[in-house]
Amino acid sequence: MTNRDTLHKQEIFSLKNIVVSGLVLFYIIFIIIPISIAFVGSFHQWNPLKGTYTFNGIENYIRVFNNELFWSSLSNTLVFTFVVILFRIIIGLGIALILYSSIVRCKTFFRAAFYMPVVTPLVAVSFIWVWMYNPQMGLINQILGTHNNWLVNKDTALGSIMVMTIWKDYGYAVVLFLAGLYSLPKDCYEAAKIDGASGVKLFKYITLPLLKPMTLFVVITSIISYLQTYIQILVMTEGGPGTSTYVTSYLIFDEAFVKYNFGYASAISFIMFIVIGMLTFISFKISSEKGGQGNE
Amino acid sequence: MSKNIKLWIVHCILVIFVIITILPLVWMLSSSFKMNSEITSITPTFIPKTFTFKNYLNVQKNFNFLRYFANSLFITVVITGIVIYTSTISGFVFAKYEFRGKNILFSIILGTMMIPWCVTIIPRYSMVLAVDGLDTYLAVIIPAAVSGFGIFMMKQSIVTIPEEMLEAARIDGASEWFIFHKIILPLSQNAISSIAIFQFLWSWEDYLWPYLIFSSEEKQVLAVGLKNFNGRYGTDYGGLFAATTISIIPVIIVYLIFQKRFIDGIAASSVKG
Amino acid sequence: MSSKAVIILAIGLPLNLQIECCKAYFKEDIMKRFLSIFLAVTLLMTLVGCSGEKEAEKEIVNDTTAEKNLPILGDNVKFDPNILINNGEPIEIEFWVWDSKEIFQSIVDEFEAIYPNISIKIVSQAWGDYWTKLPLSIQGGNGPALFSVHNSQHDNLINNMEPYDIDIEDLKADFTGVEGHVIDDKVYYIDYGMMTGSIFYNKDMWAEAGLIDSDIPETWDEFTKVAQKLTKKDDDGNIIQAGFNYNSDVKSIIMGLNYQKDQLLFKEDGSTPDIDNKIMNENIQFLIDLYDEYGVGSKDFGISDAESFGQGQSAMVYKWGWYYNQLSNDYPDVNFGVFRTPVPDENVPFAYDRYNGESTIGISAKADDASKEVAQAFIRYFMSNNEALKELCIKYSIFPSKKILADDEEVINHPVLSTIKPVVDRLIWPGPFPGIIETTLQQSFEDVIYNGNDVGTSFANGNKKVITDMEGISFTSVEKKYKHIDNK
Repeated sequence: MTNRDTLHKQEIFSLKNIVVSGLVLFYIIFIIIPISIAFVGSFHQWNPLKGTYTFNGIENYIRVFNNELFWSSLSNTLVFTFVVILFRIIIGLGIALILYSSIVRCKTFFRAAFYMPVVTPLVAVSFIWVWMYNPQMGLINQILGTHNNWLVNKDTALGSIMVMTIWKDYGYAVVLFLAGLYSLPKDCYEAAKIDGASGVKLFKYITLPLLKPMTLFVVITSIISYLQTYIQILVMTEGGPGTSTYVTSYLIFDEAFVKYNFGYASAISFIMFIVIGMLTFISFKISSEKGGQGNE
Repeated sequence: MSKNIKLWIVHCILVIFVIITILPLVWMLSSSFKMNSEITSITPTFIPKTFTFKNYLNVQKNFNFLRYFANSLFITVVITGIVIYTSTISGFVFAKYEFRGKNILFSIILGTMMIPWCVTIIPRYSMVLAVDGLDTYLAVIIPAAVSGFGIFMMKQSIVTIPEEMLEAARIDGASEWFIFHKIILPLSQNAISSIAIFQFLWSWEDYLWPYLIFSSEEKQVLAVGLKNFNGRYGTDYGGLFAATTISIIPVIIVYLIFQKRFIDGIAASSVKG
Repeated sequence: MSSKAVIILAIGLPLNLQIECCKAYFKEDIMKRFLSIFLAVTLLMTLVGCSGEKEAEKEIVNDTTAEKNLPILGDNVKFDPNILINNGEPIEIEFWVWDSKEIFQSIVDEFEAIYPNISIKIVSQAWGDYWTKLPLSIQGGNGPALFSVHNSQHDNLINNMEPYDIDIEDLKADFTGVEGHVIDDKVYYIDYGMMTGSIFYNKDMWAEAGLIDSDIPETWDEFTKVAQKLTKKDDDGNIIQAGFNYNSDVKSIIMGLNYQKDQLLFKEDGSTPDIDNKIMNENIQFLIDLYDEYGVGSKDFGISDAESFGQGQSAMVYKWGWYYNQLSNDYPDVNFGVFRTPVPDENVPFAYDRYNGESTIGISAKADDASKEVAQAFIRYFMSNNEALKELCIKYSIFPSKKILADDEEVINHPVLSTIKPVVDRLIWPGPFPGIIETTLQQSFEDVIYNGNDVGTSFANGNKKVITDMEGISFTSVEKKYKHIDNK
């Protein structure tokens, strides 16, 4: 390292210094400061419209925990996250395995097709599905021959949004799992086959454990993303019918930009931050418990 | 024989999934060419009975869609360009230099990607209000100028550039800036393409922040415009389908052209990570 | 999104995987060139394509002639155009609206024609966006100088509004209902008209069912029978034409139904909302029975009543005056008629319905003095401009507050207004109550009809929620000022 340093002229305005200071500045302004403002603000009665900013301790947080709507939103969010991740992984892994097997041809075509919904803009796609679910003229009722009002019936509303999200995102899991499969060391399989293992056993004891890092990857990115679901709810049900499809992001937006309770909304945001952190941590823990890293 | 049956079944499953995946998009496309009366009739059709372009013409006439499209394109391209530059130069610094606090800073940058948008969006909005930055392009572009993901990707890529090349250039008297612009940038084209496509897609579909910032129609982006269109003309289904198609098709076209490289890029970055 | 994925790096994957990734990177820098050219060309094309769309911006110049030889407008509230505004120097202000851009634009155009030094830029945004952005914008001091007001947002706006520079007595002489808007001897906005609900019916379906004009119902019982005649079902019993549809807009009709039966929206103290009571339960049940027992519609058929009526799939809907405009714009093919909302029985009800005042334009208190001067002048122009006011009223079926317009021919013969005129003083105004109440009413109703919860519980919960949500808001209802308050 010192060789390099002596070769350079020590300038104040070296590329390195400018870049580093720029980065530090950017992150302070756009991340550190906002988080601090939000954090401090969550302990205040903060209404920007009325210009109020009075300290009220943990009152906001207590209100959050006493708010029935918060709990129902949270439970919706958690259910949504869990179910969508589950299906994303199952379908993604399943399709990836099928594609991986040597008998399939045109792999790139299939892969490209499955990934297409992932790149489509969420707002636009949410609209398409709203119309697909329309009881009179929607595609879903046409194909299934039913007359259900999917998005307005409380039993099917959240589920319908979940289906749409799974449709949109499973391709991502397919691509990742496929990549993971391709990178698995072949010698493991050779060794196992020599030992007489085949089919299901191979899958269960070698493939699955080796795919663990990839699965963890998908799970964690999904957790972070789905716990903040907002657009689909906004476009497809607006939290309805009643408040049965409220999710926490929707609640936060409502509190912040309709009722101008910035402090209260910040409190909810921080709680969600912690939830995301906790779930991520739990995922790590679960995965490292069961066998840890790939074996040689 | 069982192998043939297996082949057949397996391909069937895949084809079914392809159909399920593509069907909504095809339905949207086909409906955008139907007359409103056909779309909403009690007895629906799939392929338009009477093919019409009127929906697309109306969309432009009523709602100046090209303006939204141009705005989205402008903002997306600018942000993507800036992100490419900042990511590459930051990646360069992290890959090839040492400085105090380097690891801490890098971890912070990575860690910030986990922060939910709801935590930062309220304070950022207040900050924009305070500097009277509402309804400006800058308020949308600047906060997006640095991407942790981009920095990470570029670092991974630049690390593989042999140190000897840089040393040779330095011995020849090249400045760091020269090294960056003439050596690093050209050699990182693959990683740059990956980031570019990602950032492009992400900026293109961003809704919440542009929604809060822009009030005038001339500056609004496509994602928000589409939602407004649905609000105001919520009954002109033909127009809605046309508008949605306009929002999606360009993305799909870009995707289809670059998909192999794009998908490989994601796969690579995640296999590693 | 994979952009968040990077955290996993920390796990430290086996080295061979890390090497694999590097090999997986793709070569081909031709693609990159392709991409940039493609994008540049598209960008260029679209920018060129829409540069022609830009509205011709008005060029503002100095105004040097105060004496314009124009007539003075107005009756009591007068507008004398023969002055210089802002000393004739060029000035530009913004005017935010959520609708009716064309009408306001024509008024603005006339105003600008008189004053070559003034340019008023109208910015139109969808209702939801409008209320997300306007309050904070004017508070920040850099928002529009003029903006359309809706009294359900009174509380969010009033602190940043500038009082009208118009004599209150003159206002009272020209307009009805001014008293309700006087705060500390100042007026920040008034109503240019009253809007209420009516029943819109499809004349073709009416004729098809064999009904004639004398069949127009006056009580809810008669209404139910008529609705049944207008309902059509297919062989499986599914509705294909609804006799009456209220989906997605119960919040509008339910308050009217309650007032008909003497039920006020607020309690004795005037500020506690009262949406959990016997009459509410009765009326909600009535609406539900219309669908379930009398089969005139279905919660799943035509999920938006406005749309369903416009698409020719529902025969009757209860809508407020603005729907008249939507029908003319979006559904010109529907042959519709209007009749007054039915009442419980042949007695004169406590109130036929509630009305809401459609508010005039607001001025931002934080605008600079020059902008305020322009704004005040424009407001005065607007208020003394009978033609413009009449046009707004006709378009949105608003019964004009300007006294002189109440007897205007067009108003008297307007399909909606002609049904309202006879009962105009039997309409009650609760005051500028916050929009949260309507939202909660709708949510509570959906909770009952879609989620299957019991009426009492849902509305009890709704009541609690509304009280909590209104905690920071100081609102007092003006129900007690209703002329016939003692006739309960």
